[in-house]
Amino acid sequence: MKQIDILIIDDEIKFADMLSRRLSLRDITCRACYDGLSGIQWVKENSGAATLILLDLKLPDMYGTQVLAHIKELDPAVPVYIITGHGTREDEKECLAQGAAEFIHKPVSIEKITTLLTHVRGEVQ
Amino acid sequence: MIRTPQMLQKQEWLAFLFHRHNAHLASFHTFSNYPRIWIISIIILAVTSLSPLVMATFINNRLIHKSVDSELVLQTDRVTSNAKRSVRFFLEERLNALRFVVNELPYYSLIDNEHLTKILINLKLGFGGFTDLSIIDSDGSQVAYAGPFNLEGKNYKTQSWFKQSMEKDNFISEVFTGYRDVPHIIIAVRSQNAYGRYYLLRATLDTQRLMDTVLSYKSNFHTDIFLINHTGILQTPSTNYGKIFTPTQIDIPAFSDTTQVITPENNKDKSYVVGYSYIATEAVTTPFILMVHKKKSEVMGTWLNLGKTFNWIIGFCCLVMMVIITLVSTYMVNQLFLADQSKAETMLKMEQSQQLACIGQLSAGIAHEINNPLALINETTGYLKDLYHYKDTPRDDKEIIELLNDILEAVSRCGTITSQLLGFVRQFDVQISSVNVEQLITGILSFHKKETEYKGIHVTTAIAPDVPDIKTDRGKLQQILLNLINNAFQAIEVNGCLDITVSHLPPNTISIEIKDTGCGISEENLQRIHEPFFSTKKERKGTGLGLSITYGLVKKLQGSIRVESSEGVGTIFTVTLPVKLQKEDEA
Repeated sequence: MKQIDILIIDDEIKFADMLSRRLSLRDITCRACYDGLSGIQWVKENSGAATLILLDLKLPDMYGTQVLAHIKELDPAVPVYIITGHGTREDEKECLAQGAAEFIHKPVSIEKITTLLTHVRGEVQ
Repeated sequence: MIRTPQMLQKQEWLAFLFHRHNAHLASFHTFSNYPRIWIISIIILAVTSLSPLVMATFINNRLIHKSVDSELVLQTDRVTSNAKRSVRFFLEERLNALRFVVNELPYYSLIDNEHLTKILINLKLGFGGFTDLSIIDSDGSQVAYAGPFNLEGKNYKTQSWFKQSMEKDNFISEVFTGYRDVPHIIIAVRSQNAYGRYYLLRATLDTQRLMDTVLSYKSNFHTDIFLINHTGILQTPSTNYGKIFTPTQIDIPAFSDTTQVITPENNKDKSYVVGYSYIATEAVTTPFILMVHKKKSEVMGTWLNLGKTFNWIIGFCCLVMMVIITLVSTYMVNQLFLADQSKAETMLKMEQSQQLACIGQLSAGIAHEINNPLALINETTGYLKDLYHYKDTPRDDKEIIELLNDILEAVSRCGTITSQLLGFVRQFDVQISSVNVEQLITGILSFHKKETEYKGIHVTTAIAPDVPDIKTDRGKLQQILLNLINNAFQAIEVNGCLDITVSHLPPNTISIEIKDTGCGISEENLQRIHEPFFSTKKERKGTGLGLSITYGLVKKLQGSIRVESSEGVGTIFTVTLPVKLQKEDEA
C-alpha cells in the first residue's frame, strides 16, 4: 500500500488531470478517479493511504453523498473535501452532516488545496 | 407593463366599460365580454322583475275595459227601453184619444167646426201636443178643420199618408213639413159615418213635445238620443248627426220587437255603443226607430282617471326598479371585473416572475455547466504558470498548444451556456418571429446536459422532417417548453427516458409531445394541475404556478395543451400550436 497525499474523485477528466499535474509539481502525490465506484474501490483497497480526499458531487454513476457515505464507512478518519461546480444549501448541509470536512465551490485555487494539505498534515502530527 | 398595487387598489366605477384593453391581461381574464354580461344581467333582471308588474297592469286595464263595456251596455239598454216606452206611450195616448172621440161622437157633430174646435181645446188641455184637428172624407177632401192654419177645403187625395190612412184603422206618419212648412206628425183614425162611408179624424202633433219626451232621457252630452225613420232620416235633432230631416248614414238595424244594444263594427276603437228600438204601439206600427248612442267616455271617465293614475304609479315604480336594477347590475359586474382584473394582474406578474423562477430552478445545471469549465480554465492556466515557475525549459510548444486548446474549449462551453441564457430575455409583448423548434428544444436541453449524464436519463428528440419553422412568439414558446421539460426532468428518476416528438399536422398546426417516464400524476391531481398555486411539491420549491402559466401562454399562442398521465408510468404533455400565429387584431 502506497501512501499518497490526495485522492481526487471527479468526472471532469481534464480538470482532475490538470489538478494532479499541478500538485505533482509541488511534490504532492495524487491519484485521480473519474467516477464514484473506482474511487470507492481505491479507498477499499488502500484504506488509510490517502491524507485527504477531494470529492465532486455530480458523478456519472452515483451522487457524491453516496460516495461520501461509503468512504466514511471504509475509512472514517480521512478528511473528505467536497469540490463541486454547484451545490445547493441542502447538498451542503447533507454533506457536512455525513462528515465532510468542508464544502468548496469550483473553481478552487491551488493554494487553497495546498493549505488544506498542510493543515491536515499538521493535525495528524 | 407591470401594474403597481396602487393601480390595482383604484376602484374605478364602470371600470369594465372604460378600462384600457390590455391583451396580456385579457388572456388571464375568466370572462371576456363584460359589457355583454352587464347588458344581459340588466335584461334578465328587468324582465323577471318587471314582467309580472306589466302583466298585472295589462290585466287590470282589460278588466276595467270589460266592466266599462258591460256597464255601458246595461245603461244604454235601460235608457233605450225607458225612452221607447215614453215615446210609445206618447203616441198611443194621443191615438187612443182620437179613437175615443170618433167612437163617442157622431159624424155630424164632428164635421161642425165649432164642435171640433172645442174638442181640440179639450184634447190640448187633457193631453197636450195637438196642433189641429180635421175631418177628411173618403175622397180626400177636408170636411172640417180646427186649428191655427186655414186649411179648409184642401184635398189630400194624392198624399201618401192619406192613402195609407184609408187602408188601416190607425195611422202614424213620419215627421214631415207638408203644406204648412212646419215639421209635424200626423196621426189619424179611420171610422165610418151613418152611411157606411169611411172618414178620417186626423190630428197634427207638435213635434216639440215628442222631441222633449225623447230628449228628457238624454242624461248628459255623452248620450245622443234621437229618432230616425226606416230610411235613416232624422226625425228629431241629434247631437252627432245634426238637424231634423238630415239623412244619416246609419245602417238601419235589423227589426226587433225588443230593445237591442250593439257595438257597431265600423266604430273606431269601439268608443260608443248603440241602443235601438223599433217603436210600435198596440194599434199600429210607427215609422220611428229610437236610437241611443252612448259614448264610453261617460262611464270610462272615472275609471280612465283611476287607470291613468294607476299607470303613472306603475310607470314610476318601473322606472325606479330599472334604476335600481341598472345600479345593482353595474355594481356587481364592476366588482366582478375588478376581481377578475386583479386576478389577471397577479397572474401576469406571476407569469413574468415565473420565467425568472424557472431559470432559477435551472441554476444548479447552469452553475455546473459554467463552473466546471471555469475550474478547468483555472487549473489549465495555473498549470501553464506552474510550467514557467517549476520548469526552466517549459517551451514544449506541443503541450502548450494543447493546454491553450483546452482553455478555448472550456471558454466556448461557458459561452454556449451564457448565450442560451441570454435567449431567455424577458419578453412580454407578443413578438412574432420565425422559430426553429428543433433549435429551441436543443437549447433548453443543453441546460440539463449534466443532469442527463449523472441521472443516466435517456433523452431522444424526434423532429419530423416536414416540420416547418413556425411564426410565433419565441420567448413564450421557450418558456412553455422550458416549463414542461423542467417538470419532466424533476419527475424522471435515474435511468428514465424523456422523449420529445415534434410533428406537423397539415395544413397549419404542429404538435410537440413531451413524454417522460417519471412518477406520473394521479387522476385527482390531473384535473387540478392547471389551477394556479396547485403544487404537489409541498416541501420543495414549487410555486404551483408553472403549469397554470404554461396553460395561459399556450392560449396566448392560440394553441392548446393536453395531458395524459398514469401514476408510476409517466406523463405525456402535448402542445398543439398554429404554424402561423395570428395577431390579436387579425384573430
